[in-house]
Amino acid sequence: MEHPGTKPYPRRPQSSIGARLAATWKHMKRDRQLLLLFIPCILFYLIFRYGPLYGLIISFKDYSVFQGIIDSPWVGFKHFEKFFSSPDFLQLFGNTLALGFYSLIFGFPFPIILAIMLNEVRVAAFKKSIQTLSYLPAFLSVVIISSMIIDFLSPSNGIINRVIAWFGFEKIYFLIEASWFRPVYVISDIWASVGYEAIVFLAAVAGISPTLYEAARVDGASRWQVMRHITLPGLMPTIVIMFILKTGSMIRVGYEKVLLLYNPTTYDVADVFSTFVYRKGLLEANYSYAAAVGMFEAVVAMVMLLGANFISRRMGGSGLW
Amino acid sequence: MVGQRKFTLFDAINALLLTALAISTVYPVLYILAVSLSDTALVTQGKVWLWPRGLNFNAYAEVLSDNRIPRAYLNTIFYTALGTFINLLFTAVAAYPLSQRGFIGRKYFMFMIVLTMFLNPGIIPNYMIVKELGLLDSVWALVIPNAIWTFELIILKSFYENMSTQIREAALIDGASEFRILFNMVIPLSKPALASIGLFYFMGHWNSFFLPMIYLTDQTMHPLQVVLRGMLIFSEGNNAGLVDAAALAPQALKNATIVLSMIPVLMIYPFAQKYFAKGVMLGSEKG
Repeated sequence: MEHPGTKPYPRRPQSSIGARLAATWKHMKRDRQLLLLFIPCILFYLIFRYGPLYGLIISFKDYSVFQGIIDSPWVGFKHFEKFFSSPDFLQLFGNTLALGFYSLIFGFPFPIILAIMLNEVRVAAFKKSIQTLSYLPAFLSVVIISSMIIDFLSPSNGIINRVIAWFGFEKIYFLIEASWFRPVYVISDIWASVGYEAIVFLAAVAGISPTLYEAARVDGASRWQVMRHITLPGLMPTIVIMFILKTGSMIRVGYEKVLLLYNPTTYDVADVFSTFVYRKGLLEANYSYAAAVGMFEAVVAMVMLLGANFISRRMGGSGLW
Repeated sequence: MVGQRKFTLFDAINALLLTALAISTVYPVLYILAVSLSDTALVTQGKVWLWPRGLNFNAYAEVLSDNRIPRAYLNTIFYTALGTFINLLFTAVAAYPLSQRGFIGRKYFMFMIVLTMFLNPGIIPNYMIVKELGLLDSVWALVIPNAIWTFELIILKSFYENMSTQIREAALIDGASEFRILFNMVIPLSKPALASIGLFYFMGHWNSFFLPMIYLTDQTMHPLQVVLRGMLIFSEGNNAGLVDAAALAPQALKNATIVLSMIPVLMIYPFAQKYFAKGVMLGSEKG
């Protein structure tokens, strides 16, 4: 698209493109065995990671099982408009943010504290056994964890309610009362993940130069001072990175546990994007609408991750990239 | 590293808190075990809290005589074994070319792969791909769409990158194919890394409940976690009675099923520490 009178861009000589193609071809021929090995990986990512992105177009269509993705009629932003104007939108957004935010704010400090506490233990065997025991729940399935929660909180026979009753208080119907859903979710999350997440911080503590500790001790620093001025600053880069990661994935609430723990009496506070998508899409076969909601969630999640990284770099900290 | 110091009040409180935490993570498992071995009547009276009372193995006998749970157990073993094998095979084969510095298009491939960590279209489009490919109600629905986990791929790729390149060059000069180098040299030499990511894959398959739940409609194909969910936690149609409805089935029976489902995991987990830590650490590193 050249305007008359303007000079065309100087073009690379044909031979150069030809030479580059030839070089690429030679490179490909040299790597043909590696490329052959790589084909399954390419196919996998194209079909199962990029393919679903193509499937997302059904959120702009009225998808019907009989017509398939291609032939279903286009409807523009109908499903998005419907979602944004429905009362579900604010409720889901609020619930998702609340669960994510509380998990982040209350959950984030615990692994760091645990790592610092373990670091202060001087008996290696004790330290190792505590650490090993503390991440036991990370190995249990979400179904088992949820059933433990239900079992322990059961009003008829649960340990927690037995203790409450023993102290002479009223039994609490933890899983039926909406006001208890978030605390139960967040506390059980912390319990299940604290040991596992502490591993990263423990490794970071181990990476702090021992000379710093020796110097501090020579200077007569107390244990609190050592913790405050050496251990904590030494952990800071790891803390920042983990915090960005957590903020970015805040919106991706562990919906499997919500799905297992909620019930119609707690939908108002427990329903999050993913559980809503599951119910609307897979149980009620509202594919297009559910896909639109899922797409909205994905976009918000991505924006949050990019935003968290941007803010962190702006503040002079280290970003993820 | 730390010199001799007195055992202070600080140490005492620290040890106490850490012990409390460890008890809180272990106690539920011990409690479940105790209930599964106890007399149901004593459990309902709330008399079991740590040790089994009225020790018996009836619950286990009953669980194993009802064919639902042994079948689900075999399903889980099959899905996990096949799934982990496919995962390791695909990941190992994909990581090898990516780890070769001169591999053509390496940077572009890596970019496209890492990008998928940020693009997650959600449940519905994934379900539709599986459905359009006709994988519903087959093992492949659980295995193929998750054949490679990007995190694990990156971990293995960096492991390969740190392996000595001299062996490979020598083998190439001797006329070995890349295929042979990968399967006869690289994979045998990367056993520790494969064990590390294999553990994650194994745990993922063994504990998975959501994907089998949506992809497998045939009840006889259900793995243990889906059956457990049906037993322990009620389905969507459930009303507000959830908490006490759970008390209807005998506790011992339910807990025996949980214990059976935990056995392999509990056997592996104490030895998993170094692999687990390695995987977490590598995963937390940049790029």
